[in-house]
Amino acid sequence: MIRVRRKRVCFFCQSGMDYIDFKEEKLLLRYVTEQGKIIPRHTSGTCAKHQRQLAQAIKRARHLALIPFVTDFTR
Amino acid sequence: MAIYESIVILDSLIPPKEIDSAMDRFSALITENNGKVRQVEKWGKKRLAYEIQKKQYGFYASIEFEGEGNIPVILESEYNYNDNVLRYLTYRYDKYKLKAMASETPAVNKAEKVEPKKKPVIDIESEEPEKTDFENNDIEAEADSDETVEENKE
Ligand SMILES: [Zn+2]
Repeated sequence: MIRVRRKRVCFFCQSGMDYIDFKEEKLLLRYVTEQGKIIPRHTSGTCAKHQRQLAQAIKRARHLALIPFVTDFTR
Repeated sequence: MAIYESIVILDSLIPPKEIDSAMDRFSALITENNGKVRQVEKWGKKRLAYEIQKKQYGFYASIEFEGEGNIPVILESEYNYNDNVLRYLTYRYDKYKLKAMASETPAVNKAEKVEPKKKPVIDIESEEPEKTDFENNDIEAEADSDETVEENKE
């Protein structure tokens, strides 16, 4: 099966967003899986600079209970 | 001197008066230690993404202040001592946040900001006609066709 892998452009570079605010839960939730894990950069296309900031923002938001650490479906 | 923001989650079940007095206490600690309170913000009662100390709701409040590095330490010991504090986070504004703040304050300059953004869009459009029909069907409008890699998987 031939899969065309395309280069994805970093959303934050494209939108010119320099600072990723951990208070924007909705934005952060786009970069975590359904289980709450941070989506790796090769999947989301985020550049290294923004992925670092994004990871920090997600961790801060988790600490303040703005977004979940884990979403457990086995309940 | 650096700028910090300290966010606390207080027990939402305590009376509003106690929330006010707690915030006053934190602000007083900052000023006592040669800090300057820039802004106190009450976000209000919010649902927590997960339970903290068996509680589903918390009262969020934040203090933005200027000061030396000893203040976060002093605040931390106060937070730990205060039973109404469920969670706290104090962080120093990094260069990105400071930059974002500087560009926010002059709201009039917004019109200027839009213009440089237009240019890269034009660049992308001029590159697009180079793509073949096959690529255009398969690939959403994306800039660099050179970097598309075909792979055999399984
Ligand atoms: Zn980027």
